[in-house]
Amino acid sequence: MPLSVDERWDLIDRISKQTVEFGAYKHTLKDAIAELTVKPLTGLPVAIAVIYGFWSFFCDFAGTLFTDGFMVKLFDEHWLPWLQSVFPGGLGNPFYALMVDAGHIENGVLVASDNCFEAFGVLTSGLFVVFGVVLWAILAFYLMFALLEDIGYLPRLAVLVDTVLHKIGLHGYAIVPTFLALGCNIPGVTATRTLETRKQRFLMITLLSVFVPCGAQIGIMQDLVPEMMGWIFLTLAIGYLGFGFILNKIVPGKSPEIIMDVPPYRMPVMKNIVSKLWIRTSKFLLVAVPFVLLGCVIVGIMYLPQVGAMDWLATVLGPFLMSWFGVPGETVSPLIAGFLRKDLAVGMLGGLMEQGIMTTFQVFTSVVLLCIYFPCLATFALMIKEEKWKEFIGSIASLVVMVLVYGGLIHVVGIMLGVA
Amino acid sequence: MNEGEEKLGQIYFAILGAVALAFGAAELIASASEGFTWGILDSSGGADPMFLPWRAIIILSVGFFYLSSVKNFAEIHQLAKAVMASIMIWIVAGMAIWSRIAGSIPGEETWFNSLEGFLASYAPPYCPEMFLLPFSLVIVYYVLKEKETEK
Amino acid sequence: MKILLMGHPNVGKSVFFNRLTGTKVFESNYPGTTVDFTKGWMRLEGEDVELIDVPGAFSLEWKDQAEEVAVKMLEENRDSVVVCVLDASKVERGLYLALEIIERGYPVVVALNMWDVTKDKNIGIDVEKLERILGVPVVATTAISGEGFKELVSKIKETAPVKIEKIIKNAGGGESAAVSG
Repeated sequence: MPLSVDERWDLIDRISKQTVEFGAYKHTLKDAIAELTVKPLTGLPVAIAVIYGFWSFFCDFAGTLFTDGFMVKLFDEHWLPWLQSVFPGGLGNPFYALMVDAGHIENGVLVASDNCFEAFGVLTSGLFVVFGVVLWAILAFYLMFALLEDIGYLPRLAVLVDTVLHKIGLHGYAIVPTFLALGCNIPGVTATRTLETRKQRFLMITLLSVFVPCGAQIGIMQDLVPEMMGWIFLTLAIGYLGFGFILNKIVPGKSPEIIMDVPPYRMPVMKNIVSKLWIRTSKFLLVAVPFVLLGCVIVGIMYLPQVGAMDWLATVLGPFLMSWFGVPGETVSPLIAGFLRKDLAVGMLGGLMEQGIMTTFQVFTSVVLLCIYFPCLATFALMIKEEKWKEFIGSIASLVVMVLVYGGLIHVVGIMLGVA
Repeated sequence: MNEGEEKLGQIYFAILGAVALAFGAAELIASASEGFTWGILDSSGGADPMFLPWRAIIILSVGFFYLSSVKNFAEIHQLAKAVMASIMIWIVAGMAIWSRIAGSIPGEETWFNSLEGFLASYAPPYCPEMFLLPFSLVIVYYVLKEKETEK
Repeated sequence: MKILLMGHPNVGKSVFFNRLTGTKVFESNYPGTTVDFTKGWMRLEGEDVELIDVPGAFSLEWKDQAEEVAVKMLEENRDSVVVCVLDASKVERGLYLALEIIERGYPVVVALNMWDVTKDKNIGIDVEKLERILGVPVVATTAISGEGFKELVSKIKETAPVKIEKIIKNAGGGESAAVSG
């Protein structure tokens, strides 16, 4: 039964009398601030300030306070010399080399290492990477992440980025898995489950595993090459956006909008933050520790003069690495280690740097290569689990193409700038 | 807030905004060159020069936020801009303080710093945001005033 | 199933549409007219659903070409759910259109958009009570910040047609009837 116009207005009048109240609500300061954080003109500077705070906290907490302040002293001045003095075998012994110190050749003589980046042993480099550097980076990262999440800033950052990213065919929501992956790629890949279509998941997983370095890796990079971090992030961001744009165009399927819950701002609850921090950090350690130690063993075995696999690979792959990417053959060992753990691999690069066999640009290229060339074993395993076979092969294929193209491109840019 | 308080707030934050803009410009120039230290004002970016340009952008925005909040200051949206600007200063200055705390605890060669070393870590020069910090706290008074009227 | 996005002109419907679909497919010019319309796809519980941005209309008793197209689209898509976008600061005007659509037997979700503006204008709306009276989901949304959208999408499958008599009863019978409705 349709109503007449008058009947309808009469009904509306009755409804609004019961539900609408003028002068009842006043815009609060919180509402006004919430508005400021999502409007691009004011929201962008705020986002820069927040990310600035995030990053400063990360560097000072993990780098200055724990790693440089205490852990380097503990491992290099106490743990390493102590192990070198009490561990059976001694320099040159294969088991000693695996566990404590492989040493390195200086003027034709095998000499002992004086820091845990160079020693390459399971009990030295392995433990140092996990407990000396990475643990603190992960703690700092997840602490800040949980804080932003609980305050309610994260979805707003996504909405803000959304307006910008739409122009190149990506959704702002992509920032959540990306951000999470900056802690560890594993929860990042897992978070792609919230994406709507297979195409979106495929894009996100591929981009994450290639262009997003994890907290462990960032922690080590920040420790080794702090002055390059800006350039490294810039290079990765360009790759992420550029290849994201291309993949979005060539991969078939739909890419619908992802609709997020945007809660009001609220005070974070200490208990929530602590429990999230605990869950994420302990999960991380469970994955990281076995892989780092295993990585140390495998790389260590390949390095043993009795096996000689690493030297052989360096000779075989060296010319290719040198001509295509412009990095020396020695980087083959960190690249191999990178299959297992990126943090360990960057740490090994640190060992090479201390031997002074690379130019600054080569260090830069190899650090970037380590970021992009292959996901770590744990992420790799998760990709097999999360993706269908066809997608997985697609991911790996795009990964290989992206690494070759982008790595080569960096080399070319380096040549053009005259620094390579 | 009453009219007198509004007037005072307008003048105060106009000046603070202008100072922030000046600091921002100085930091921008500093980031284009090597950075500089001028008396107790430190615009060298400390250990990490890559922070400098970002800090310049933030502090310039703070200046713009304060200045644009001045007109019709008592209005909630306008006040919110000044609040946001203050929060941004707190983030940057807070991190500068945190950086000093983190650097002050461990010693050079020893596990922990000596008392003199610990105290020396907090000596000037300070970055511009640290100078803005105490002045930005005035906004707390206005937020409390606003909360009163909200009730 | 299709979703029709309807509402007055200038209630932030196109931002609303972008928030829901992300990508636009222009299907300009409805056959035989000069009225543009847009459609896109959104994801609803694992399904792709077509979302049509119906030209802005004040009422279904059409006076201009855009309203004529709006009515035709509504009639052509009998099986669709209508998301009716209201300017929350002018609820009465928007409700007129919403009631017309409800009267025609469509399942409706009411979005009180520009919710932030109601706060600026010092207007309080009792969303729960409005929902009880209308008998259809009512969600407060702010297109610019994305607030309320998750809830809105979750309500699309829940809604069902409502008899107008029931709404009259809910509205007229005062508080007690509203609760029983």
